[in-house]
Amino acid sequence: MTDIDKAMLAAVARALHRLRFGSLEIVVHEGRIVQTHFTLGTDRTTGGPRFRGEKSMVTIRRKTGLVLVWALNAVVAAPQLLAQQDSAAAATQQRLDDLDQQVKILSRRWELYQDSVINAAKSRPSVSAGATGFQLKSAEGNFVLKLRGYLQADSRVYFSDDAQVLTNDLLLRRVRPILEGTVYRYYDFRIMPDFAGSAPTIFDAYFEARFEPEFAVRAGKYKPALGLERYQSATDVKFIERGLPTNLVPSRDVGLQIAGDLAGGVLNYNAALFDGVPDLASGLNDVADGKDLVGRLFIVPFAKQAENPPVDLGFGIAASTGNELGNTTTTALASYRSPGQATVFRYLTSSTAPVTGTVIADGRRERIIPQAYLNKGPLGLLAEYTISRQEVARDTGVTRTTEKLEHKAWQVEGSFFLTGERNSFRSITPKKQFDPFAGGWGAFELTGRYGELDFDDDAFPIYASPTASVTKEKAWAIGLNWHLGRNVKVMVNYEQTRFAGGATSGDRPDEKFFATRFQTSF
Amino acid sequence: MAFMIRGAAVVALALGLATAAHAQKPVTLLNVSYDPTRELYQDVNAAFTAKYKVDKGVAVTIRQSHGGSGKQARSVIDGLEADVVTLALAYDIDEIAQKARLFPADWQKRLPDNSAPYTSTIVFLVRKGNPKNIKDWDDIARPGLSVITPNPKTSGGARWNYLAAWGYAVKKFGGDQAKAREFVARIYKNVPVLDSGARGSTTTFVERGIGDVLLAWENEALLAVKELGPDKFQIVVPSVSILAEPPVTVVDKVAKKRGTLEVAQAYLQFLYSDEGQELAAKHYYRPRNKAVATKYAATFPRINLFTIDEMFGGWTRAQATHFADGGVFDQIYENR
Repeated sequence: MTDIDKAMLAAVARALHRLRFGSLEIVVHEGRIVQTHFTLGTDRTTGGPRFRGEKSMVTIRRKTGLVLVWALNAVVAAPQLLAQQDSAAAATQQRLDDLDQQVKILSRRWELYQDSVINAAKSRPSVSAGATGFQLKSAEGNFVLKLRGYLQADSRVYFSDDAQVLTNDLLLRRVRPILEGTVYRYYDFRIMPDFAGSAPTIFDAYFEARFEPEFAVRAGKYKPALGLERYQSATDVKFIERGLPTNLVPSRDVGLQIAGDLAGGVLNYNAALFDGVPDLASGLNDVADGKDLVGRLFIVPFAKQAENPPVDLGFGIAASTGNELGNTTTTALASYRSPGQATVFRYLTSSTAPVTGTVIADGRRERIIPQAYLNKGPLGLLAEYTISRQEVARDTGVTRTTEKLEHKAWQVEGSFFLTGERNSFRSITPKKQFDPFAGGWGAFELTGRYGELDFDDDAFPIYASPTASVTKEKAWAIGLNWHLGRNVKVMVNYEQTRFAGGATSGDRPDEKFFATRFQTSF
Repeated sequence: MAFMIRGAAVVALALGLATAAHAQKPVTLLNVSYDPTRELYQDVNAAFTAKYKVDKGVAVTIRQSHGGSGKQARSVIDGLEADVVTLALAYDIDEIAQKARLFPADWQKRLPDNSAPYTSTIVFLVRKGNPKNIKDWDDIARPGLSVITPNPKTSGGARWNYLAAWGYAVKKFGGDQAKAREFVARIYKNVPVLDSGARGSTTTFVERGIGDVLLAWENEALLAVKELGPDKFQIVVPSVSILAEPPVTVVDKVAKKRGTLEVAQAYLQFLYSDEGQELAAKHYYRPRNKAVATKYAATFPRINLFTIDEMFGGWTRAQATHFADGGVFDQIYENR
């Protein structure tokens, strides 16, 4: 009801103070009917209206019924009632508006509270578990702790080994938990022991400050960036044992390195100073003051198209140089192995006191390793050529001879995914996980390689015995890798190696062995 | 030696090929901005990428991130890799410079007009017919009124709102800071909800139907009236308000690392171009370019504006006094 309506009703109410409807006159006081008269014509004596008295009113009520009176009362009282109702309605409306606002405010506050809960959750550390391990991460990502690791359970069966020079074996090849993480944004660490040997050994333990992709500093024990297959993770190599060139590079060394990716990852560089361990060795303490300088330039032309490169190509060259001096206790020289892990070349030693005739490192050590990999669709290729030079000396007590020996090795290996996965230098994820209930069979990868290792002829007979050490190894291998998933792999290899020399008469017998591996990594 | 020379030649060739491939590669920029600039940068991005493609032959994709200005600054400090930041106030960008050291501390000198290519101010958005008869800041402080403004701890716009009210009170009370504080406290007694950003407050007022008045960026208020219709809302321009200068800068270290420095610089320069200024005005930001400002003069009413420098001695002092933990705002809001 508008204000105008209310005003009109008030006027009507005032007008209704004395109302006349034909012969009926009604007197109203304070909204209620107090008197009702019927006019019975004109009083002839007074000339005024002639009324019927109270008695007549009773009669009227009886005759016309109560309805009319009540209706009239309602009509007269309506304006006041409506005004009262309007006032109540306005108050109610105001109250409703207030309540509506309160509800909306509470609802909005609840919305904002929920947002704040979600935001607070974002600011809490996150815990995750997945194919790449288990991770604890601070909300802003500056602190990360990852638990990773891998386990390799192998078997080796040697054929044509009637003399049982090599033992058919079931063994744990690697048992390596990995603890790595970030301690405030730029600073990473990694600790990786190996429990597979007779005693636990620390393989990796380093700290890295990684300010920009172009520049990172690493200190500790880790793989020198030399051999390509050595640089490849033990979980990602295509064969159960690495090929012959890996003989001529160190496994791990302690040192200080700067490294980075330039031009968006197209050019990767490493430059490091290491204690300088012999080929194949994993060092912890140096035996002499001399140190090895190691450098590597590696180019990945399509690094910026990492998601879908025309070809996954990487090539480069690595080199090291150092001045290494051994002694009769620690010669600073390596022994070399066959693919079946038999020692097939060792420098002459003597344990007879006074120790004479032991060959020791005695000067410049150099390595040069051109290397490349190429992956195109399911096909993968890896090739490297390794030259390892070392000045050696042998003092028999009578004469002291020195020589700079040069050992060379190379290999080409290839692999092909029968199930169509894209090949990679790193681990792959099968298109379908092995799941006998869902019908997936994982990924199958055929592998093959050929390699040679040629020991310097000048090593014989002064520095190595031609009847105990071979002068050359030529090895070929084939294999099948079954990737059940990203984290589980079964490998089967057959490898045959032909030797030159290394026996009292003729050549050391060919090494033929069959190996299997069950690997899990996360 | 011959082997090494051949190797070096191969390396050089590969690097050359890689560099050539790099030159043609599309570039992606991330613009980390504040709440109400979504629509502005959608248009700016489209115009800039088209122009850059024609001028330089490079396809650029620009991603946008929006939120409360303070929150956005913290994200960049915490590692969000923004190529450019376009925030609500200089203090938030100063914080990035000081805490993350991603660009020089004198970043504001690198572009014209203190690196603020457009300006804005604070006005009132009220419901159609202005049922609470709100005309100026005094009305906002009336008991019983419901005022919507975001949280100055997280929102740049909210800090401008707060300082605009404070500045008005200082002028009204002849520089009496105690009275100004009491005045602003009365306003915040009327605030039922504190959103984290200006866009959230607009949602509270416009979509949720809460409150009698929204303290808003002028561009946000004009946008709300345009989008929702003048039959629902109207703008009330106060007698005095603050000149808000939302600044922009390239995040040098990120842009260099990602190889986007040149594009990022061109992107911000574009904001000062005639086309960029037109877009700013179209989205209700006051353009710096005089010709464009004249063209759009009817859109922007003349207001008596004071600057943060003249009223508060700059952002650093204003922040320390009013918005630092335990500062005047905290005291006011906790004692409501």
